[in-house]
Amino acid sequence: MNWKMPFKKIFAPLVAAAGISCASAQVVALGYPEKEELTFGFIKLTDMAPIAIAYEKGYFEEEGLYVTIEAQANWKVLLDGVIDGRLDGAHMLAGQPIAATMGFGTKAEIITPFSMDLNGNGITVSNAIWEQMKPNIPKQPDGKPVHPIKADALKPVVEKYKADGKPFNMGMVFPVSTHNYELRYWLAAGGIHPGFYAPHKGDISGQIDADALLSVTPPPQMPATLEAGTIYGYCVGEPWNQQAVFKDIGVPVVTDYEIWKDNPEKVFGITKEFAEKYPNTTVRITRALIRAAMWLDANNNANRPEAVKILSQSNYVGADYEVIANSMTGTFEYEKGDKREVPDFNVFFRYNATYPYYSDAIWYLTQMRRWGQISDDKSDDWYKELAAKVYRPDIYQAAARSLVADKLASADQFPDFASEDGFRDPQTHFIDGIVYDGHKPNEYIDKFTIGLKSGQKL
Amino acid sequence: MSVLLDISHIDMEFPTPRGNFTALRDVDLKIQQGEFVSLIGHSGCGKSTVLNVVAGLYQATRGGVILNGREVTEPGPERAVVFQNHSLLPWLTAYENVELAVRQVFGKSKSKAEMRAWIEHNLALVHMSHAMHKRPGEISGGMKQRVGIARALAMQPQVLLMDEPFGALDALTRAHMQDSLMEIQAELRNTIIMITHDVDEAVLLSDRIVMMTNGPAATIGEILSVELERPRDRLALADNPQYNQYRAQVLKFLHERHSKPDVPVKKKAAPASAHATPAWTSGHTAKAVGDAA
Amino acid sequence: MNTTAAQLSNFFKVRIPQLDSRVVVTVLRQLALPLLGMLAFLFLWSATAQNIDTSLGKFPGPSAVIEQFDALYSEHQRSREKERAFYQRQQERNAERVAADPAYQPKIRAYTGKETFIDQISTSLVTVMCGFLLAVVIAVPLGIAIGLSKSLNSAINPIVQIFKPVSPLAWLPLVTMVVSALYTSPEPLIAKSFLNSLITVTLCCLWPMVINTAVGVAGIDQDLVNVSKVLRLSALRHVRRIVLPASVPMIFTGMRLSLGVAWMVLIAAEMLAQNPGLGKFVWDEFQNGSSDSLARIMAAVLVIGFIGFLLDRGMLMLQRLVSWDKAVS
Repeated sequence: MNWKMPFKKIFAPLVAAAGISCASAQVVALGYPEKEELTFGFIKLTDMAPIAIAYEKGYFEEEGLYVTIEAQANWKVLLDGVIDGRLDGAHMLAGQPIAATMGFGTKAEIITPFSMDLNGNGITVSNAIWEQMKPNIPKQPDGKPVHPIKADALKPVVEKYKADGKPFNMGMVFPVSTHNYELRYWLAAGGIHPGFYAPHKGDISGQIDADALLSVTPPPQMPATLEAGTIYGYCVGEPWNQQAVFKDIGVPVVTDYEIWKDNPEKVFGITKEFAEKYPNTTVRITRALIRAAMWLDANNNANRPEAVKILSQSNYVGADYEVIANSMTGTFEYEKGDKREVPDFNVFFRYNATYPYYSDAIWYLTQMRRWGQISDDKSDDWYKELAAKVYRPDIYQAAARSLVADKLASADQFPDFASEDGFRDPQTHFIDGIVYDGHKPNEYIDKFTIGLKSGQKL
Repeated sequence: MSVLLDISHIDMEFPTPRGNFTALRDVDLKIQQGEFVSLIGHSGCGKSTVLNVVAGLYQATRGGVILNGREVTEPGPERAVVFQNHSLLPWLTAYENVELAVRQVFGKSKSKAEMRAWIEHNLALVHMSHAMHKRPGEISGGMKQRVGIARALAMQPQVLLMDEPFGALDALTRAHMQDSLMEIQAELRNTIIMITHDVDEAVLLSDRIVMMTNGPAATIGEILSVELERPRDRLALADNPQYNQYRAQVLKFLHERHSKPDVPVKKKAAPASAHATPAWTSGHTAKAVGDAA
Repeated sequence: MNTTAAQLSNFFKVRIPQLDSRVVVTVLRQLALPLLGMLAFLFLWSATAQNIDTSLGKFPGPSAVIEQFDALYSEHQRSREKERAFYQRQQERNAERVAADPAYQPKIRAYTGKETFIDQISTSLVTVMCGFLLAVVIAVPLGIAIGLSKSLNSAINPIVQIFKPVSPLAWLPLVTMVVSALYTSPEPLIAKSFLNSLITVTLCCLWPMVINTAVGVAGIDQDLVNVSKVLRLSALRHVRRIVLPASVPMIFTGMRLSLGVAWMVLIAAEMLAQNPGLGKFVWDEFQNGSSDSLARIMAAVLVIGFIGFLLDRGMLMLQRLVSWDKAVS
């Protein structure tokens, strides 16, 4: 509605609020979108929901944007699409814009004005591995395993495979994906070495010194690959963990919520060039996505069943309603029949989920350094500078402020932009209890038992 | 009458893997304007080779062909050929087949209406007016050959070359075609060289019969002038002693050649199938050798 | 009435004896047997389907597939309604913007919704036809050149023989990269995925046509060539009036083979290039892994087969129409 609102109407309330920061000046100037026909890419995962909802609920159209949404075959195709302009923007792994800007993999300047969600991933092992893990897991009084399950329970199994000379293969979705770092985090916390990368030596397989060998499989193919026995377990977003339960081919052992409570997950990535060339369009995209995220979390997830119905359409995620609903409506089914409440399994808006925190970017950078994707020591400032290059709270703020001005949102739904410095408070909820403070990345890296520390180079 | 066509001492050699094969040696023949000459000889004696050299489809190794004072170096419509196998373009109607030739020859000199009239005239000449919009696949062998003749005539050639034009037809159709040819010849006074196997046909149609010796190195054995009154009537001639004498003369020549072949048949260099695919159907020397042998 | 009845009975008296055993056999052969075959297939299919358990449930039987055909069709209709609403909204929005901003030039943007199964079928058809026509444009002249010149034949034949058996899956990555490198328009009129699929189809279906055309041209009756020589047709006229029509039957045989190859290749190419046609449909459904996916894929398989059959028949009819050689089967 608001985009066609005469300038005066937008202008009046803003003049009052203006003058605080340069970001608000951008709000005042928010005009019609420079580019109206857009194509966005996504991978078939439930956390693409904000894009689908912004489309289906008409939020894009209300911004004057005519968006085509296209499923992509895998993360590489998706990233290439954004880089070569076939796609204007996409649902991305948080690590992708960071790695691309840094030049790990394809070098390109990708930015993100909008984080898409928190949590939403899980680690699933095959039925056979689960049977072997089970004896190592403590039981609740009702006979069900105690959660969270740590990788300590998997360690003897991996060691047995190692002793038998059988490689213990696991799948993750992309070298710079959240899933790779989460799987590594979980394995390492349980004493299983997930292997190092050494890009300066041309080794990007990530299997140096590894106990468990991790390799890339596109998310929708995870269950089929597990079923085929090519991998024994995987870390992936929904609905592909629940799909394994549904198909009776594997058991999700842990969710990323348990590995790191409220961890940042996907982001919406666009090229820096796009943002500079089409500033109004960029802000308007962000506005539509924020509104979609708000809708997804509104009234205590009341809209989730409707969202699931939309996502189960074949052009979006396309999995069965029940499978997607399992996690999207606040529950998660581990072993078949062991359905537990995980209300925050998918968080789209609350806890400032959509705000692009520098500290989130820095966490990914610390993990890249920990596993050797960044081969040399970097200063704390380097981490911050790179994070500020990729994560763009300024755009987010412009969008949020204009939404508030249009009375489509209230200021208390967002962080206090006047005092916000882009760093979350030190994070304590990790499975291994290690505290993360985004201001001190080098100090954080040194806390891990397994992984590269300051000064180490392979 | 003046000499129109001078086939002057031609030799024809074909390269083979085992050295050159001499098909013709010193074939020398002068043909007058308006004359009907038949070439007769046993299969493989090289008569088709002679015709192909005149047509310009082959180049003589030595000697040459002079038409109207100019040497022949390539094929052309002034030496129209009636092929044994009619060689009509199967995707065109009778009319269109003739039209292709007429356009090519008279495209610049005749108007559209004139060309149309000329095509229809030539088709009428061979009694094909009724079927001129049919395709070759829809008409009989004799009719196809008529169209082939109409196409050749329509080019108004200085010499009409006919390579066993009626060889593939049944006896009755052949007789009709011969009569038609005589009619046309009487009207147009074309100069014609015709290859034939058929003694009766040669005597009936020709002013002169050129009898070829057997190859290799085939050449002209005898030339017989047929001095029968025209128009000739095949039924009347059957009892004509002069006709029968000519006939006997040709037969005698062929018989002698047959009983005393210059070269034993078995020693031929070419494949036995050469007769099934006469040389002129192919530009490839290997096949031509077969025929010439 | 009486006369009519008499006529009728007369008619039948005459007709009934004509329904002799030969007619019955013909009817049986042309109608009943294919029907019987079809029924047996359906029975076998549903019987086996019930015994194949996949992780997506039982293998779909005929009824599940028919259900999906129905679902796909109603999806299509729903999508058309949404499309109408989309344009309606757009018009209203444009009108409002013009009111607020008179300088604005209203523009109608194409519907951004998902392609339906039926849209995907037409995308596939358009892609295969474009790829095929491009191949015809390249292959026929090339084939004629090769057929006319023995030296050219010797030079090009090895290349043709090497490229002929290459799978589309091998071409596609190369095509993708080259297209990306060369086709860099910021506002592409034609989608790259479409171009990639099209070029891959072209590359794969080029060869049967080149070979058949070349063989057809080289095999022209020497008589016809001699006719052309005697008529002194120019090279161009020779090709146009003699060579081309004479090789039409062989060219069409090659084209039919090629179209078959093109259709097969297209499905694979679309899967990988993500061209929104039937190939992408199959791929997306496979990725979705919903309980309906297999039945939908099976529906696509039937449609792909049926269209392939129709394309072949169509090509045959075209061949009969334009070819002088009526002995084509």
